[in-house]
Amino acid sequence: MIEPVSTAAAVDQRGEPALELRHLHRFFGRLKAVDDVSFKAWPGQVMGFIGPNGAGKTTSMRILATLDTPTAGDAFVCGYSVVDDPDKVRRYLGFMPDSFGKYANMNVVEYLDFYARAYGLRDAKRRDAIEHVLVFTELRKLADKAINTLSKGMSQRLGLGRCLIHDPQVMILDEPAAGLDPRARVELRELIRLLATEMKKTVLISSHILTELGEICDSAAIIEAGQILAYGTVDEIQRNQHGGSTELTRVRSLHVRIAAGDDVQSRMHSLEKWLLEQPLINLVQCAGAAAIFDFEGNDEDQQRLLQNLIAAGHPVIEFYGKTQSLEDAFMNITKGITQ
Amino acid sequence: MSAGDKFFHLADYLTDRLNPILVKETRQALKSRQFIITFMLLLTVAWLISVFGTVWYGPAIEYGSAGRAFFVAYYYVIGFASLFVVPFGAFRSMLNERDHNTYELLSISTLSPRQIVNGKLLSSMVQVFIYYSAIAPFIAFTSLLQGFDLAMVTLFLVVGLLWSFFVSMVALMLSTLSSNRQWQAINTIGMIGLLLWQMSAAFGMSAVGLSESIPFDSEEFWWVLVSFLVGAGSFFLLAQQIAISRLTFESDNRSSGIRIICTLQFWLLWGGVWAYAYRYGTAAVDEDVIAGCAIMSAMHWLVAGLVFSTEADHVSRRIRRNVSRLRVVRFLVAPWLPGGRRGLLLTTIHVLALAIFVRSGSWALWVQQMVAVAALYVFIYVAIGSAIGRLGQMVTPEFRPAHARVLIILIGALGMIAPYLPAAFGFTRWSNVYSLGEVTNPGGTLIHISETAYGSGSHNVATTHDVLLILIATAGVALLINLKAMYQGFSEMVSWNPVNAAESASVIVEV
Repeated sequence: MIEPVSTAAAVDQRGEPALELRHLHRFFGRLKAVDDVSFKAWPGQVMGFIGPNGAGKTTSMRILATLDTPTAGDAFVCGYSVVDDPDKVRRYLGFMPDSFGKYANMNVVEYLDFYARAYGLRDAKRRDAIEHVLVFTELRKLADKAINTLSKGMSQRLGLGRCLIHDPQVMILDEPAAGLDPRARVELRELIRLLATEMKKTVLISSHILTELGEICDSAAIIEAGQILAYGTVDEIQRNQHGGSTELTRVRSLHVRIAAGDDVQSRMHSLEKWLLEQPLINLVQCAGAAAIFDFEGNDEDQQRLLQNLIAAGHPVIEFYGKTQSLEDAFMNITKGITQ
Repeated sequence: MSAGDKFFHLADYLTDRLNPILVKETRQALKSRQFIITFMLLLTVAWLISVFGTVWYGPAIEYGSAGRAFFVAYYYVIGFASLFVVPFGAFRSMLNERDHNTYELLSISTLSPRQIVNGKLLSSMVQVFIYYSAIAPFIAFTSLLQGFDLAMVTLFLVVGLLWSFFVSMVALMLSTLSSNRQWQAINTIGMIGLLLWQMSAAFGMSAVGLSESIPFDSEEFWWVLVSFLVGAGSFFLLAQQIAISRLTFESDNRSSGIRIICTLQFWLLWGGVWAYAYRYGTAAVDEDVIAGCAIMSAMHWLVAGLVFSTEADHVSRRIRRNVSRLRVVRFLVAPWLPGGRRGLLLTTIHVLALAIFVRSGSWALWVQQMVAVAALYVFIYVAIGSAIGRLGQMVTPEFRPAHARVLIILIGALGMIAPYLPAAFGFTRWSNVYSLGEVTNPGGTLIHISETAYGSGSHNVATTHDVLLILIATAGVALLINLKAMYQGFSEMVSWNPVNAAESASVIVEV
């Protein structure tokens, strides 16, 4: 199991994890859709589940949602096993699949009312739950609208509302922003953020829009070909300090800018030559008065490099590590393997 | 609070106590085009029958037996709605859940599979009641006419209503059997055919029944009616249990419910025979009836046994955890617990019980021989199926119970046609005389034995004894192959330690 390097500051990880996958395997014949996947998520945490198509995200999520059973291993929601106690897991779990069907001849309130009843809510509890969801998802004004006439954005809100109707501790959202326009995406993102911060839900969310995940998630797991390649806080993954085992984890991109002047070209030539002579440096690219290069050292090596740069007489005015986006991290970590 | 508010509040309170699926389905159904069209069509056709029927009868309506004729016409109208439209609606309702991708969300709610199945059935019943209430004024009209028989009308309406529930349940069960679209399309065509067939059969039987007077004072009539209702009721429960099992989570117990109902059906049949013999004496029970019941039981255990004995043997932690802590209870219920090895045990117990039951009676030798032969065939085929299932699983985990079932059906079919292949290819001559080479054909062998009762066949005791000897030897080999597995299947559950089971299960933490 890949352990996270450090714990996320915003999330209390001292208690029991709300969500845990423990050596989860799911094979379809010879295809290893999920191959020894393990990770945990705590209350109030929004965890991104990232991977290319066919990586095993949806399969893992379906197992968590008790829609499928693992070939080996187990998954736990609020301490209950998805294999042994699926009925208990369902009480604590809200699942929003990437696409979900809508009933004919049913309006928004009737849809929520049905799921409230299906989760055993009665009388005032049921009415309050429906009202709360209508307010939270801002669907109040569409309460009497037939659900199969809702726009994609409103449908996703309704799906989120359905997940919330029984006030679950854990929410699993599979590609919730797929097909949404930018405004609907931003609104949905805000709703998801609120779920974690105000309602202290644990949210496991998969998406292909990694920039968005980077904004709403405090941790992430990157999966490819059924295996977890990286797992940690988003910051750790972006800085390549996650618990993964690839060599790329030590590579960081550094940026140096020198003072501009008449002889900037010769200074840059000199800087480029100097950089290429240094150990731990690769792929030096120069443009104008700046140079960007890959650096394979640690923080101490980086400090020494800066000292040497100045000692060598280069007029450094900027020196920083370029933080890679979640998308960059994803591209670095995954190898494009498809099954 | 106004009266209207009070009413809605009360309705809300009451619907909270109802099955959520029933509430949802009824809401949807009452808004659906299918319901509105059927309802309007039913009223229109019934109205047209009333008007044109009255015109056609003319003054004769006053003194002829028009009441019965009008009732028959209305009965066919309500029959179309309750025996075709409603069951097909129930069938589509479950298929639509899968087609429209809504079933998964339903399945992960806290609703149990039983609630889902019962909710769908209850909503069908509500529709049938609405159609019945729509036709009620027209039936009331027939009561004003000559020839109206209240007892007969009540009987036909009640039996029609129960038959509609039964057919709806079977339709629901069939809708759970296929999950991919190709099979669903085939299933739908089959369903339409089946519904049309049963509706025309029901109409045909109703026509016969309505053309004659019902012998309400005959004990035999009530025996037949009760037997029919009990039999249909048992198959209703079986269909319900199969549907529930199909919707039950993989790691849960999908088998025990079906096993219990199959056992119940077997004992109901023979309990009924015993009750009839007790009431009227053994002599009153015809040997053909015993032979027929025995063959039905053998067929019953052949089908059920093949399904049970080819199940995967792995028993999940969830099932084990729910097994009784009392060893004596586990000892008694072991054959009804899931797993192919225990399935074979259950089948063996019942075919043995069948043979012993008939052997212990004072029925003719041919009946006893026939039942023994049928029981042996069932055991041999089920045991071979069980062995194939286990062997296949050992070879590859890809080998599924369905593969074993298909294989054993192919083996059975081959056994039936193999004796006739040499003649078919012209190597030998066709012969009407039964030979021992036909022993692989259960149908031919059983027919051969039954022919002796009428002296029409080539039966002789020596041949039957030879058949019995061959079958006993084959069954002995099948038993030897499966004995260890049957013992393991039994002892595995009896020696299971629930304390260890709890330890090995997940740690449960209240949140």
